[in-house]
Amino acid sequence: MDDLLQEFIAETRETLEAISGEIVGWEADPGDRSRLDAIFRFVHTIKGSCGFLDLPRLARLSHAAEDALAAVRAGERAPDQSLVTVILAIIDRIGEIVEAIDAGEALSEAGEAMLIAALDGAIAGEAVPAVDTVDAPAAAPAVRHAPKRSVRLSVDLLDRMMSGVSDMVLARNQLARHLRMIDDPRLESMLERLSISVDELRDTVTRTRMQRVESLFSALPRLARDSAAALDKSVTLTIEGGDVELDREMIELLRDPLVHLVRNAVDHGIEDRVGRLRAGKAAAGQLRIVARQAGNLIIIEIADDGRGIDSERLLAKALRAQPERAAELAALDEDGRLKLIFEAGLSSRDEVTALSGRGVGMDVVKANVEQAGGRISLTSRPGQGLTIALEVPLTLAILNAVLVEAAGTRFAIPRQSVDEIVAVDGGAVRVDRVAAGAVVLLRGQRLPMVSLPTLLGQSEGNAIPGFLAIVSLREGRFALALDGVNDTQELVVKPAAPAVMRAGIYAGQMLPDDGAPILLLDCAAIAARAALAFERPDAAVTEAEVVEPVRALLFDDIDGVRRMIVSDAVDRIEGVTAGSVRALAGGLWLTIGARSIPVWAGTGAVAGEVRKVLRLQLDDQELAYPIADPIEIVPLPQEIAPAADPRGVIAGLAVIDGEPIELVDPLALFDDATAIAARPVCLLHGAESGWMEAFLKPAIEQAGYRVVRRAPPGLPVALALAMEDDADTPPVPALRLSRERGKPLYRFDRAALIAALKDYAA
Amino acid sequence: MNHALHLVARVGDRGLLFDAERVDSVVEVHSTVPAPGAAPAVVGLAAMRSRVATVIDVRELFGGAPMMRDGKGARAVATLVDGHLYAIAVDALEDVATFTLAPAPIAQGTAGEWDFVTGVAEGEGETLMAVDIDRLVARASALG
Repeated sequence: MDDLLQEFIAETRETLEAISGEIVGWEADPGDRSRLDAIFRFVHTIKGSCGFLDLPRLARLSHAAEDALAAVRAGERAPDQSLVTVILAIIDRIGEIVEAIDAGEALSEAGEAMLIAALDGAIAGEAVPAVDTVDAPAAAPAVRHAPKRSVRLSVDLLDRMMSGVSDMVLARNQLARHLRMIDDPRLESMLERLSISVDELRDTVTRTRMQRVESLFSALPRLARDSAAALDKSVTLTIEGGDVELDREMIELLRDPLVHLVRNAVDHGIEDRVGRLRAGKAAAGQLRIVARQAGNLIIIEIADDGRGIDSERLLAKALRAQPERAAELAALDEDGRLKLIFEAGLSSRDEVTALSGRGVGMDVVKANVEQAGGRISLTSRPGQGLTIALEVPLTLAILNAVLVEAAGTRFAIPRQSVDEIVAVDGGAVRVDRVAAGAVVLLRGQRLPMVSLPTLLGQSEGNAIPGFLAIVSLREGRFALALDGVNDTQELVVKPAAPAVMRAGIYAGQMLPDDGAPILLLDCAAIAARAALAFERPDAAVTEAEVVEPVRALLFDDIDGVRRMIVSDAVDRIEGVTAGSVRALAGGLWLTIGARSIPVWAGTGAVAGEVRKVLRLQLDDQELAYPIADPIEIVPLPQEIAPAADPRGVIAGLAVIDGEPIELVDPLALFDDATAIAARPVCLLHGAESGWMEAFLKPAIEQAGYRVVRRAPPGLPVALALAMEDDADTPPVPALRLSRERGKPLYRFDRAALIAALKDYAA
Repeated sequence: MNHALHLVARVGDRGLLFDAERVDSVVEVHSTVPAPGAAPAVVGLAAMRSRVATVIDVRELFGGAPMMRDGKGARAVATLVDGHLYAIAVDALEDVATFTLAPAPIAQGTAGEWDFVTGVAEGEGETLMAVDIDRLVARASALG
């Protein structure tokens, strides 16, 4: 934590220095939007770090300033002189507190409450209290713990140091080669000593520039836990790929964005426990953070399984904030709408929470990532989660690489993507030419083969390759044919020039100690280049294995009998809130969100008493089977005695733990359910059917109908819905909707519509 | 006009002027490692002390035939472009001197293709072309 604090202090100090110009500029012209944004980002970042570092005073001040600035940004408040004065006083105060923390001194809190009050307009601007800084401790504090000292250096200087050390290593290697020829033991022992200290020096210097990605992630579990606890949510955090070493600069640049994103995910993305259960998800939210390298990029993915982004609401919000952009906004596609979240002052959430404020972090995050020369992209699956990918250029990284030979040149492959290396003449593999390509048969598994020499432009020989590297990618595995394999080395990867990257198969360049450059291959790009079609390796493997026993869910049915059902048929077990199961249209219906699904009533279920259901799914049909309690999942015995009634919903009897248990047949349930409660079809007719589908579908479904916009021939349509003023006549009896409020069936009168539909059904 | 220190180099039969400010060093490239698939102007990679340079051949830009790619040594002008180290292979290095540049009197129609020529200066019985290193490297990378 001390490290983080020191970093925070150094960074704040630096930003304060940089921002002082903006502050002066803003004072001169309070209407300047870009300066306002810069100052806002500053206080927002401070607020973010404070909550994390447990600095409540700074958090209070920055939160208050952020609130006021947000109001200005939203146009709710004019940036008048008094406000500017107070904001400046707060920023000065932040600077003083930071210095005091660094010095380990106490600083009186006098006046801070007044500053905050002045922000709210409670005190007139002129009366801004001059916070007395002189009352800082007159007497030196008795014990001052020596803070861990640090200095900030320019990356340029570090780079020169690093390349200087690398030069030294190369020179040492040359010297060593020559000295070996002389064969003088004294010289050799001297060289040995030099050699050891050069290696140590190199390690130290490398550490000044490189850091494991782990250090970026180490604070996140705590952050996720605390954030979740504050909101009474549960979150499980998974981190992958922490062992790559990266440029410290990148790590520093990514730290804040990552904190924001994790907070946002916990706050805005992941639902509370009840919400999750209702949506049929596990109570604890899943948050996954993965770092990986692809080509010239380091990609960090933050994926949650929360509610995703509501792009409609985002759009509506943008429209409200900037009505002059209506035309441009209306033309946006889904992707464009999602991108609105990166605009300053916009967020999909309306409430402000102590945690991430208004979600404003997103524009700050984007600015930070772009400052690092990176990109940010997001994939939102409404109701299922949000994945945000940060892509930053690989400036420097240390990688464990396998050095290989092909087409007379050495290349490197990242060790982590190579499963194994196989010598072809060892007899463990067979290479078969198939069509234009080749496949490799390794331990019964067939893998596509890519010949690296051919890919590199060497004319195709019929020669069998010397070695195969079995490369494993996310999409699948393939064999990369090589001429030779040398060894593995830990090497620094640097980006290669664009003219070289154009080849599309390289990920960077390396310089080993022998002084001959090596290009690092990008295995994913090679697979893409060779247009490999991966066989699903898993499918092939499971076929060969023992047949998995079928599993069944044991449960107490509502009539008190213990029964079981094949667990594959059960989509999930769901708690039912009171009142969501209703007797309608001659059957029972469960309303979930905007849909209603039929409930199995064969065991005597009563609408008001259903508390738990098994949700069964078969193709696109759904059915809820009410139960009293789920017991456990058991392997289904091989022997099942068939039931006496072949048309009943009980498929047979099986013995579990000495007790005969009835096995429910899901197919029979669906058969029966569709017979009892086949839903009548409601056709949305006329030019406005699109609008109706958007607005009325939930209400119509709740009334027990199935909604279609076009009726294919042969589909019996029970009823059509049309606008009152629609000219053409629907093919079937229709309910007509009115555009005027107060008329019998006003189109937005939901209750009346449902009642009318039910009347019709009865 | 522009009055600055320039490095005079020969590429094919052309005399070129490189802004001395932009020249990192003048090097003898001993051996290069090929980079299959890269832009045709890329001769390969070479280690310059502990740094890796991309060796490029710009002869084609000046209408000449490409150099022999035998992996043997050549003289080169080392320069940093966008953080990447390049070694621009040249046939000979002649001089470092101060030149006064005049605007290049080239026809409008060809201006786009020759945008790396920023001016001309008078050499010994020939016209020397001053080149913009960034654009020269970008053009060479885009060849092919």
